[in-house]
Amino acid sequence: MKSVITITHPCEVFCSFTMSAATKLHKTSWCALRQLQQYRTKANFSASSSSIAKRNELFNQEQKRQRDAVGRIDKIEVRYLGLPEDVTLVMNANISTPYNCAQHLSEGHKRRSALALIDGSVPWDMHRPLQESCTLQLLHFQVSEPHVVNKAFWRTCSFMLGAALNRAFKPEANLQLHSFPGPNIKSGSFVHDIVLQTRNWQPTKEEMRTVSAEMVKLALEDHEIERLDVTQDIAQEIFKDSKYKSEQLPSIAQQTHGRVTLYRLGDHIDISRGPMVGATRFLGKCTISAAHKVADEGETDGFYRIQGVALPSGIQLNHVAFGVLEERSKKLNPARLPNEPFEEHQQLQLS
Amino acid sequence: MNVSTRFLINRLGKQCAFNRIVTYSTKSTEHAAANAVETEKEPKIKETTASTASEASIPIRKPVIPANYRFIYPEFLPDPKIEWRNPIREKLERMDMLDRRRQIDLPEFYVGSIMAVTSSDPHAEGKVSRFVGICIHRDRCGLRARFILRNVIDHQGIEVIYELYDPTIQKVEVLRLEKRLDDSLFYLRDALPEYSTFDENMEAEQLEEGAPVPVNDIKVVLRPRPWLERWERQNLRGVANIDQYLKDKHRQSARRVQKPWEKYDLMKQYRATIPEEEQNEIFAEVYAELHAQELQRKRNKRKRTFVKPKQLA
Amino acid sequence: MNQADVSKLMSQLRIAIRPRHRNLKNKDGPEGRLLKLRKTVTALVKHERIELFYNRADEARGYAELLISNAIRHGDTHNATMEMADYWLLEKQLVHKLFKVLVPRYENYTVSYTRMFNAPRTYPGIYYKNSVLELRGNPYPSLIVDQSQNKNLLHNVLLDEARKEYRRKKLAELAQ
Repeated sequence: MKSVITITHPCEVFCSFTMSAATKLHKTSWCALRQLQQYRTKANFSASSSSIAKRNELFNQEQKRQRDAVGRIDKIEVRYLGLPEDVTLVMNANISTPYNCAQHLSEGHKRRSALALIDGSVPWDMHRPLQESCTLQLLHFQVSEPHVVNKAFWRTCSFMLGAALNRAFKPEANLQLHSFPGPNIKSGSFVHDIVLQTRNWQPTKEEMRTVSAEMVKLALEDHEIERLDVTQDIAQEIFKDSKYKSEQLPSIAQQTHGRVTLYRLGDHIDISRGPMVGATRFLGKCTISAAHKVADEGETDGFYRIQGVALPSGIQLNHVAFGVLEERSKKLNPARLPNEPFEEHQQLQLS
Repeated sequence: MNVSTRFLINRLGKQCAFNRIVTYSTKSTEHAAANAVETEKEPKIKETTASTASEASIPIRKPVIPANYRFIYPEFLPDPKIEWRNPIREKLERMDMLDRRRQIDLPEFYVGSIMAVTSSDPHAEGKVSRFVGICIHRDRCGLRARFILRNVIDHQGIEVIYELYDPTIQKVEVLRLEKRLDDSLFYLRDALPEYSTFDENMEAEQLEEGAPVPVNDIKVVLRPRPWLERWERQNLRGVANIDQYLKDKHRQSARRVQKPWEKYDLMKQYRATIPEEEQNEIFAEVYAELHAQELQRKRNKRKRTFVKPKQLA
Repeated sequence: MNQADVSKLMSQLRIAIRPRHRNLKNKDGPEGRLLKLRKTVTALVKHERIELFYNRADEARGYAELLISNAIRHGDTHNATMEMADYWLLEKQLVHKLFKVLVPRYENYTVSYTRMFNAPRTYPGIYYKNSVLELRGNPYPSLIVDQSQNKNLLHNVLLDEARKEYRRKKLAELAQ
């Protein structure tokens, strides 16, 4: 199993040693994984690594520009409501985030809070700067009314699934992330739609498990999930080499007055309206259960819907009950498909 | 390795025997029944000693483990020190102990019993030696369980440490089964020699069946100081004249080191004992075997008591 | 490889215990340590929920558990148990409470008789960990919120929907 380690080192990418090691790996034990292994790679030496770096660079530039644009620092009063007691915090407008408020409260608040609620009704990302004086509540998954945070969690799962798929496939597979519909917990599964350069991919159990493992890895790596509002032009620039994203951008921007909300996890960037939970560590039990081929795309490609089910990290569930959920999540999710009118689909995504 | 393989083989053998009866029988019911009878016989033949009523009834009944087993077989209980517990090792040790008990009769005895041990010596090939003495101490557990016998031979106190499961031991006889007032009798070393002098040709004394083990409440007389230990500090019950040799300073220092609160220290006691539930589990595992051996011993004893032709030269 | 002490027979504790005791720094040595713990056990039996430093609570917990389990095991006619209760409970009316209130309460329990929670530590303040020690079945409101029945938690939503779907399927099968 030494060969697994060699892959991680980017310098050895083109060494013949790595290739032979990888082939040995196939022969020995993971034969069933062969198909996915062929596609499998680390993002930082894939063919599209340059484009990912470019995206991140643009993202960083825009982030830095927005921070610099704050100028004179104004003070705002944030009224925190909740345990252990209600307090008023004086924070910096457009700089301080709910996470910073939690840092003032306690280690436990910092670790546990997944989402903030502004003025009692507006869900707010943990890492999104506060703009004006407001009241603040910090939500986690065990509160008595967790609808908002559950929805954010489901959306985050879809987003993370995109990142995990990006990591799991090799560039030869020509994976293109399409989009993910809005979160619907009652459907029993979260969804990410992708386009692959193959029309007859029948994923094996091991392949699905590999994707699940990537999700778990993401959770263990504990990436912060960043949010950035950008103009349509910059979004177009960022996603210029992604065919489907650049197709979607105009209609999204039209609905939101020319602003597009981007989220970043590690080096994976995607469009979503948000909100999302603060970090990937909130993902607990997770299974990517099924990949359905929905339609043919273009000449050679296939449109696939990847589905999974997950629970937040604090929630315990025995494996029998979770098995029931897994079984149910294998059914094709009824969320809107993109072969139906595109605008409607986007509306659903933005809901 | 040896132990574990034996363990596995035993287990496998049992499982296979049952499997043959229950699941893999493709014959008609009559044949299956006949088969079952055959396989029932097998364990009986194997365990020659265990052909009693309790063994014959195949349906598993929960054995009623006698309450005094922990006194008779204290070495079957593991060391309560938590860091040293290891369920698998303990189980394997118990199996080995039973194996040894199948080879040699290790009777019930207590501190204060008078015993005779016949053992061979690795340095004197072909010879055996028999030592008679009073058991003054029992310690250690599992396969390492040991006891100390003491006797005075030619005006010289002799003590021999025997390991109970030592393979060089050939025979263990209990000549007089009794208890003393104390848990260990090291003070016999400082007592007058007549208290630890026992005739090596002593006859075994038979207790009545079912009678409780008698407690010998003899109080020994100590020699004057110097002693090997400060006996006055140990709250001994089996010593008659300890006060005679004490000065005030001895009494004071003895009072100073007393720990009267220790009898209330529940957790200390708990950490020194094996809880009842666990004891039951352990003894349930070895009960059948030990019980069969006890019955066999009783039968042998009866034979011995009835037939007594003593041939004199 | 020492032999276990067979002169005493005790019931198994339902809590995890440490291999060794804690000394609980005390100038009177082990006797003073026991006095400290006696005070704690007395307070626990009296108030049924106490807040104190973690180390002392954890030590006292074992003694309280054993005291109750011995009381259940031997009843109030057993001299040694009565003497033990007399030693551990500094207020004598609590001996009555132990045998007449706690023993009937815990007779059929299959779990431990006490519970322990980590309690928050004031900052800045004394460094030691805090804890709450309580008898089960006490009259106070529960310290932890039981969320297992909350229908809105994510797993409950998912399970609920799965159940509904299963019922719909069954009904559809019946209708055919």
